[in-house]
Amino acid sequence: MKIISGVYPLDAGVLELEGKSVRLDSPRSAHERGVYMVPQEPHVFPHLSVLENLGVGLSYPPAELRERVRPLLQDLGFDVNLDEQGAFLSIAQQQLLEIVRGLLRNVKVLIFDEPTSALTFKEADHLFERMRRLASQGMGIVFISHRMGEVMEVSNRISVLRDGEVVLSDFTENVSPHDLVRAMLPPDAAHAVDQEDDQRPAIRSPSRETTPVLEVSGLSSEAFSDASFSLRPGEVLGLAGLVGSGRTELCEAIVGLDDHARGTVRVRGQDLAQRSPALCRRHGLVYVPEDRHAHGIFLDLPSVYTITAGVLERLGGLFLDSNKEADLGRSFVDSLNIKLSSIWQTAGTLSGGNQQKVVLAGALATDPAVVLLDEPTRGIDASARQDVYRLIRSLTAAGVGVLLISSELEEVVDLSDRVLVMHRGRIVTELAGSDLTLENVTEASFGLLEEAS
Amino acid sequence: MNWTRYLRTWEFALAVLLVLEIVVLGVINPVFFNLENLLYSTLDFTHILFAALPLTLVIITAGIDISGVSIMGLASITLGLVWVAGVNVFVALAVALLVGVLAGAFNGVFVSRTDVNPLVITLGTLFMFAGLAQGMPALLDKLGFKAYGSAGLAAYQYEGITGLPESFIMLTEGTVGIVPYPFIAVLLFALVLSLLLHRTRFGRYLYLIGVNPKAAIYSGVPIRRVLVWAYVLSGFGAALAGVMLTSYFTSARADLGGDALLPIITAVVLGGADILGGSGTILGTLLAGMILGFLRQGLLAIGVTNDLIQVVVGGLLISAMAAKQLIHVYGEYRLKRWALSKKEGR
Amino acid sequence: MKRFLRSREALVTLLLVLLIGATGLFNPNFFKFDSIVEIFNASLTLVLISLGEMFVILTRGIDVSVGAIAGLSAVVLGTTLNLGWPVGFAVLAAVITGTLAGVFNAFGVTFLRVPPIIMTLGTLGIYRGLMRIITGGSWIENLPQNIKEPNLWGFLGVPFFVWVTLALLALTAYVTLRIRVARYFYAVGDNEQGAFLLGLPVRWTQFAAYTLAGSFAALAAVVFTSQIGFVSMNAADGFELKAIAANVLGGVSLTGGVGTPLGAAVGALFLTAVHSMLIFLGVPGIWDNAFAGAILLAVVYVDYRVRQALEVQRRQARIRGETHHQGGAP
Repeated sequence: MKIISGVYPLDAGVLELEGKSVRLDSPRSAHERGVYMVPQEPHVFPHLSVLENLGVGLSYPPAELRERVRPLLQDLGFDVNLDEQGAFLSIAQQQLLEIVRGLLRNVKVLIFDEPTSALTFKEADHLFERMRRLASQGMGIVFISHRMGEVMEVSNRISVLRDGEVVLSDFTENVSPHDLVRAMLPPDAAHAVDQEDDQRPAIRSPSRETTPVLEVSGLSSEAFSDASFSLRPGEVLGLAGLVGSGRTELCEAIVGLDDHARGTVRVRGQDLAQRSPALCRRHGLVYVPEDRHAHGIFLDLPSVYTITAGVLERLGGLFLDSNKEADLGRSFVDSLNIKLSSIWQTAGTLSGGNQQKVVLAGALATDPAVVLLDEPTRGIDASARQDVYRLIRSLTAAGVGVLLISSELEEVVDLSDRVLVMHRGRIVTELAGSDLTLENVTEASFGLLEEAS
Repeated sequence: MNWTRYLRTWEFALAVLLVLEIVVLGVINPVFFNLENLLYSTLDFTHILFAALPLTLVIITAGIDISGVSIMGLASITLGLVWVAGVNVFVALAVALLVGVLAGAFNGVFVSRTDVNPLVITLGTLFMFAGLAQGMPALLDKLGFKAYGSAGLAAYQYEGITGLPESFIMLTEGTVGIVPYPFIAVLLFALVLSLLLHRTRFGRYLYLIGVNPKAAIYSGVPIRRVLVWAYVLSGFGAALAGVMLTSYFTSARADLGGDALLPIITAVVLGGADILGGSGTILGTLLAGMILGFLRQGLLAIGVTNDLIQVVVGGLLISAMAAKQLIHVYGEYRLKRWALSKKEGR
Repeated sequence: MKRFLRSREALVTLLLVLLIGATGLFNPNFFKFDSIVEIFNASLTLVLISLGEMFVILTRGIDVSVGAIAGLSAVVLGTTLNLGWPVGFAVLAAVITGTLAGVFNAFGVTFLRVPPIIMTLGTLGIYRGLMRIITGGSWIENLPQNIKEPNLWGFLGVPFFVWVTLALLALTAYVTLRIRVARYFYAVGDNEQGAFLLGLPVRWTQFAAYTLAGSFAALAAVVFTSQIGFVSMNAADGFELKAIAANVLGGVSLTGGVGTPLGAAVGALFLTAVHSMLIFLGVPGIWDNAFAGAILLAVVYVDYRVRQALEVQRRQARIRGETHHQGGAP
């Protein structure tokens, strides 16, 4: 899609618009040829008025712009005060703003990249209505989403891409949701992750009597509501669901990063009321964030600094003992199989997988009782992935409770003892034992199981 | 084990530059080869170092504190007023330092508790502290307290609070052998700050906050407390500078240090600290401050005017930063070329 | 109405009116036409410098050399006048000097990529040094009478320069509000990446901002040289910081994209008025800085709390699912 919208150049093949082969070398030239991509995160100028936001990059005088915008807004049913500041637009309105930007450029094709991932369900419904209306007026629309229900709901034709290949392409009425799920899974899904661990040993499930290391009850916030569950020592609890279903927000609320969250969190029986990440760490609860560049790693500093950032008080009294620090760093480099020339190597120069391991080491250095792993294998290579899986197993063997979030459902199914599935900000299902299959988790994630049961 | 690593550091380059500078200045004017003279001339810029060294810590956190130049005057006038009130001058000195600490704490609390840009906050306190320093004597005088010292208002306006005891003046006039007390003090201060920055948990936290404040929070760094202490140290350093200047000029004045902002920030930035946070060392700031200080002394000695020196210092600051940027851009360019050639090679 | 209350210009204007009112109650002389005009007259230099600084701050930059540029331009003005140049040419030379000084800043920031605060701190030293090198460090006095004359002109009892500044302010306000290219300053400061992706000339916009800051500083130099009739070596010393303070006070945010010329002007007027008001209240002028600083801090703090409260409201509204209706209601 970035190629079609002119951000990247075309490597091979032909791009035709209205029957003519075209070359697009910038977003601007794509706009001129009639293609506009509504980005996943709309470009809003928070302090400009809505009208000005619409006009950026166009040369109409304000009065004419207003005239041109008004009928478009009416058509879309976009009820907005044009003099309001951009900052006050909701994400749904920001998306409409991007649509109007496209319409103002008289485009024939609108591309929506995951438009619903940040929307509430009410907001998404409104968006679909508008998309249908545009389509009925002759607009070509490409809708990218991995929310299957939505794709089924709005599309006329569906194509499924897997690993850069079109594996399914047909009219919507000829496709069932289950076909889609099957098409999206790798052919040998059941054996995908780790052959040796294929038969999940039941004995690994800890006995039900042990007291939970983590109890969450009635936790609610902006992105999710009424989450309750408990985690036992040595257990891997999977948390499945689609992007935007509220999993990351739930984790952030658990470790005290959301001041507005309500509900209780207990670690080893102790109620952590005024939580902060620091307090949670002291009680043995640690979170490994999803976005490691933004929240996990100190890119410009030696790798070992990320590993020891949370445990500096253990490295001597008045002065940090650099030998101790180096020893601690090296012990994790060895145990996690981190590939670096020296522990003093700048973290930013490591590969993605090794960066992730450094972040993991930083969490493990605190000797946690509970680890929340948010997308621990995103964007890392296969061998690093195996190392992460091995790490999870060794943690549980040591009696640590692990909450595992992953968008790769096979991974969740294969590694977890139990799986909670989140949908629309709620935990909708708990799957364990023989119910814990890839198919069930997938369907529940897309909200299908919920409707069926 | 790997000592060649140190040869490639910025601090080493600065050290070489410092030696070169002294040699060149000495060849032009042999006075510079007289160690006693050289050391004595540090008195003219020790106050810059006192303020710049702890400011390095603040800049490492991606913050900035421009109020230090006002804290200098505030500390100076506090010392003078407390002394005029009949208190022992060294107790007055302690009170002045305490005022610096409190001023720094005010900055720190404001910075760490709000999302307001530190530049705006310390700009506000720059005005506020300067205003307090200017207004306090007048207010006390109005309240019937002879705040201007024995010589009265006219003399105060001209030369500040004078007549400070000899023992206090000796703080800057005294020497150990041929080394002036203030220079020893600033080296000790640098040593303490250096240990603090490079060897303690607090110092590590400063870097972590500067590089990635979000990740620091996720890692459980007590970010607010650390920030407050960084600004407190900056205020304390500025107060030390103010006290030192008071002794050096033998008078307590509200406007001491008013023109020090440019050299202070130049020293920190030239010393290798990134204004965007995450890098910088105490040694770098110390060396850069000394290079700038001796440069000034040297140029003055060969008859260059103060004004031209200002131009040179400004030009030096800009060229150093521009060079840093160019090296960075060139590095990225080479990295891209390398990546592309690797791709094509396959 | 809500929008009006949210705007910082309104808050500061209100504060200004309240303070003037309070001062007037305390000392009725303050309400005299002449005193008010005097405050305006005294604020012109800062108003002009702040207007120029505003463009830079809008693009998310900062320029701490504007005071030095004003000083340098004043020196060029004084020197050329004493060389016998006609007033028009001398003024032109001063404005060109200021503009070129701004261009140099712009070049460093946009093309050499030196961080703005470092670049302009460096040129602060350079311009201040140059100004003294040109004059040899002495004041420029004995300026020809014709440069002082405009200051004596007036219309309806209001001095010529006040009219000029008001006209410039109105022009700037009109341009930044209505002219498309001038809106680029806002767009670039608000969301640099977005502006780039939508095809705006980001670097040239920043370039123009620093250049304008230089030009406005030069205009300020012309005004204060005419007003006081000589050029001291401390001319406009410290005005860079006052100009930044005036902008922040008037609601021009250092995070870019927010603020109006009117706000910058009101902020500058406020800072100048504090001085006059303190005198009328019987407080010695040396307390100026303390008050200015305290008010600046108070205003940014109140602003912070208001933003916090609005954010909490927004979150609660979103939880309740009311976001659809929020945009529609005025």
